[in-house]
Amino acid sequence: MDDRLRVSDAERDGAAALLRDHFAAGRLSAQELEERLAIILAAQTFGDLRRALAGLPPTAPVLQPASPAPAEAGPLARGYRRLLACYPVWYRRVHEEEMLAVLMTAAPPGKRRPSIAEATDLLWGALRIRCQPSRPGAEPAWRDALAVASVIVPLVLVVTVVVNQAPVFLPGSGALARGFRLFALEAMAAPLAMAVVIPLALRMRRVAALTGAGLPIVLVFSLFGHGVNVAIGEASLFLAVGLQTVAFAASAGPRRGLQILTRKHAVLVLVATLLVCTHLADVVIPAGATVRLILLTAIGAGMALTSSLGRWLLLLLAIPAWPLLLTAVPAIPGWALNVLPSTAAVTVAWYLPPAALATLAALAARRASAHSPKPLGTPDA
Amino acid sequence: MTDMPMREPTFLILTALAASPQHGYGIMTDVAQISDGQVRLRAGTLYAALNRLVVEDLVEVDREEIVDTRLRRYYRLTPRGTARLAVEVDRRRRHTAVAARRLALLGGPA
Repeated sequence: MDDRLRVSDAERDGAAALLRDHFAAGRLSAQELEERLAIILAAQTFGDLRRALAGLPPTAPVLQPASPAPAEAGPLARGYRRLLACYPVWYRRVHEEEMLAVLMTAAPPGKRRPSIAEATDLLWGALRIRCQPSRPGAEPAWRDALAVASVIVPLVLVVTVVVNQAPVFLPGSGALARGFRLFALEAMAAPLAMAVVIPLALRMRRVAALTGAGLPIVLVFSLFGHGVNVAIGEASLFLAVGLQTVAFAASAGPRRGLQILTRKHAVLVLVATLLVCTHLADVVIPAGATVRLILLTAIGAGMALTSSLGRWLLLLLAIPAWPLLLTAVPAIPGWALNVLPSTAAVTVAWYLPPAALATLAALAARRASAHSPKPLGTPDA
Repeated sequence: MTDMPMREPTFLILTALAASPQHGYGIMTDVAQISDGQVRLRAGTLYAALNRLVVEDLVEVDREEIVDTRLRRYYRLTPRGTARLAVEVDRRRRHTAVAARRLALLGGPA
């Protein structure tokens, strides 16, 4: 490309945006950014822009004139482009033309559409890229989403426990008590959740992970005790606890989660918490509020969809939600929750197995930590 | 982490780049040639591997060219990539040496 070609305002803006990206990524100091922005503002030719971007890795092809060479045409190129559309936007901005060029060069003449093997390969590649970090030194988006989930899910579980358990120890009539009776069986899952939440609060990540790993065993027991209907009603809480366990075991933990929790994701946290509260206490909240909640959810989800972290987060948070969706469908017989009388004694009985589980896990973890150089209670890095 | 054995496509991509900076299609044909046609990388696999290698600072972008209206981006090994490939070559050499010695003891071809 010719460095003597004159640049337009749009191209100067593009180059300036690129510089800010590099600044955000830590490749430029504030002073360097200003110096280079000054060059861009005064830039007359592509050569000037190139000088302002010197020494930075290429990202978007802003250094090409706005009217590029004719793009690849024909059914084969269109087929490839449709497959490349599955790649993340940040990746496509940099690599779409490059990959298309490779695919077109490798294609024998006369080929009309991508083969099944090529389609599979490109889709698999897109999935792998989506699971990789977007720039050096960054965490992959799914791990960051898990870190944020490790903040959100315990929050939601604590709310669940409070809503479920408060009426047992504060006997009386009223909406809350009726709400509790409806969800008496879910109360069984709540103490299990606490068995994970409490070690977490004490910054014992490994204990929490071990306790969480024991939960499926308890789920099997609950199947024997109460039949499948009940288990489906409780499944969302078990899934939430399972998600929390995975979040703590596979991510950098809540500290990292709080660091990257932007205002946008904080809205999502609020919506998720509100939704759970509504589900648990829908006797209390008037039906009219449902519409507002659905609106709020739509806004939260819409905001989350604009970033890859948010999309991963939605995907993760949807995991505990799906049994709730099933129970909400009245047409399916057998999904309704059974109702059992609840007493403080029953609640205490539910707390015993998870408490034993947590104790065992704590002992096992302590024993393991005796052999490892890093103490168990070390805060997450 | 750096001591983990390298998977075959990664090893071959780094080997291809050890000769000189190459663009995507060049790496694909070179890898096929190095492996006697046994490993044929497809674009999706190649670029997923390249992205990981760039993020791990083993490979970096060398330059860009436009040939016949098609964008060619050349990649080259970083110093870290060169060191990593050397470690892998050493590992493979040790293993094959042991295997060859034992085959010789069996009286087989070595």
